[in-house]
Amino acid sequence: MIPGDFQYKKPPAKQMLLMAIMGILGLGGFIVTALVLVFVMTAWFGQPVIFGNDDGPDQPIAYPHTIHAGTQPGQLGLDCTFCHRNVTKGAAATIPAVGLCLTCHKTVGDGNDEIEKLRAIAEAGDAIPWVRVHRVPDHVHFVHEAHISFFSERDGILPSAVCSTCHGDVASMTQVSQVKPLKMSDCVDCHRDNGAPTDCTTCHY
Amino acid sequence: MAESWGMVIDLDKCTGCQACVVACQSENNIPINDEGLFNQRRAIEWIRIERYWEGEFPDVKARFIPILCQHCADAPCEPVCPVFATYHNNEGLNVQVYNRCIGTRFCANGCPYHVRFFNFWEPEWPDSLKNQLNPDVTVRSRGIMEKCTFCVQRIRRTGRKAAQAGIDKSDAELERGLNPACVNACPTQTLEFGDMIDVLTAVKEGTRLPDEPKSKAGAKVKKELEEDGGRGYRLREQLGTNPSVVYLRKVDEHRKEVITHG
Repeated sequence: MIPGDFQYKKPPAKQMLLMAIMGILGLGGFIVTALVLVFVMTAWFGQPVIFGNDDGPDQPIAYPHTIHAGTQPGQLGLDCTFCHRNVTKGAAATIPAVGLCLTCHKTVGDGNDEIEKLRAIAEAGDAIPWVRVHRVPDHVHFVHEAHISFFSERDGILPSAVCSTCHGDVASMTQVSQVKPLKMSDCVDCHRDNGAPTDCTTCHY
Repeated sequence: MAESWGMVIDLDKCTGCQACVVACQSENNIPINDEGLFNQRRAIEWIRIERYWEGEFPDVKARFIPILCQHCADAPCEPVCPVFATYHNNEGLNVQVYNRCIGTRFCANGCPYHVRFFNFWEPEWPDSLKNQLNPDVTVRSRGIMEKCTFCVQRIRRTGRKAAQAGIDKSDAELERGLNPACVNACPTQTLEFGDMIDVLTAVKEGTRLPDEPKSKAGAKVKKELEEDGGRGYRLREQLGTNPSVVYLRKVDEHRKEVITHG
C-alpha cells in the first residue's frame, strides 16, 4: 500500500447498526409521507369545487333537455314531472318508459338520427340504456317525494321548481351533468338550514 | 320526534314457529345462513328463537324466547364504540350507522344479549334471490357490524305517509306499516310494537306508570307490571341496561300442577 492512499476504514459495529436503523427509518418515513400526500391530494382534487364537475356522461341517445323542458320560444317547456312521474310519489324520480317518448315521437321528428335510434329501441322492445348521472352511495336513502313536497308546500311553488335546488338548471343543459358534489355536507347543511332532522337514521339505515 | 319505540313479547303466545325470523331475514337483506356458518358461530340473525328444554322426561317442556336487539336505554354497546357508529337517538332506537363502522367488534363484546353480528364475509345471494332484496335497506358489506333496527326503514316510510296524510305516525291506521316485519309476521301476536316513551321512562325512573299509555303495547306493559302477579320482566334487568323490550312470562297451569304434586 502506498502511504497516504485512501483506505476505507470499517466503522465500528455500533455505528454500522446506527446507520442501518437510520436508513430504514428514513425509507419508512419517505413511504409514509408519500402515502399521506397521495391521500390528501386525491381527496383535495376529488372535490368538484376545485376543477368543477365534468360534462356528464355520453348518453346512448343525445336527449336534449333544452328542447323538451326549456321555456324559450321554440322550446316545449314541459314540466319535469311530465316524464319523471314518480318524483312526487316515491323515493326514485324514475326515467320514463320508451312508450312515453313514443306518444309524440311516433309521428314527430322523422329523419332525425337520434329519434330513429329511439324508434329502433322501441321496436326491439328494449329499454334505453341510459347512463346514470346522479347517484348517492348505497347506504344513503334519499327520497325525492319528501323533499319535493316539503319545499313546494313551504314556498308555495310547483313541484318542478324544487328540482333545481340539487340538479341545477337541467332545462338549459344539452348534456345533463351533475352540478353539486352531493357529498354528505351538502345534505346536512341543507337539513340544518331548513330545520329537517339531522339524526343519522334520517338517511342511513 | 319524541318517541321511544318499544316491544312487548308475550311468551305465553309464542309457539316457536320462526315466522319472525324468516320475515326479518327477508325484510332486512340478511345473507343466507348455512350449516357452515352456524358451526362457525358466524350466522347472522337479527331476531332468533332460543329454545330451552325444561323438566325431566316424560314431563318435558320446550320453551321459546324470541331474542332481538333490546334497544337498551343504557346500552353497553354504545360507549365502547371508538367511532360513534352506534348511538342512541331521540326515538329510543339503538342505531348502527354502517358507514361509520370500522369493525372493531367492541360493541358485540359489550352486548350481554348477543344480538350484534359481524359480517365476516361479503354477503352473497344466489341469482334467483337477487331481486327479492329490499331496496330500502342497505346491504352491509364485509367488515361491519349489524343488528336489529326495529325496522327503522318502515318507521321512516310511515313517517312520510303520516306527514302526507297529516296524522300522527302512531295512528292505528298506519299500524301495519309501522310495525317491524317480525311483528307483522307473527301468527299469534306474540310481538307487539309501539311508542312506549311514557311507560319506559316511568319504569326507568321508578315513578308511577302513566294512567293512559300512548300505545296498545304500552298499555299491555302497564297492565302486566302493575297487576298482582303481573308477568312483565326484562332480560338481564340486573345489568341495568334498561331494555326497551318487555317480556311477559309464560303461564303454564299444567306445569304448576305437576310441581305441587311432586
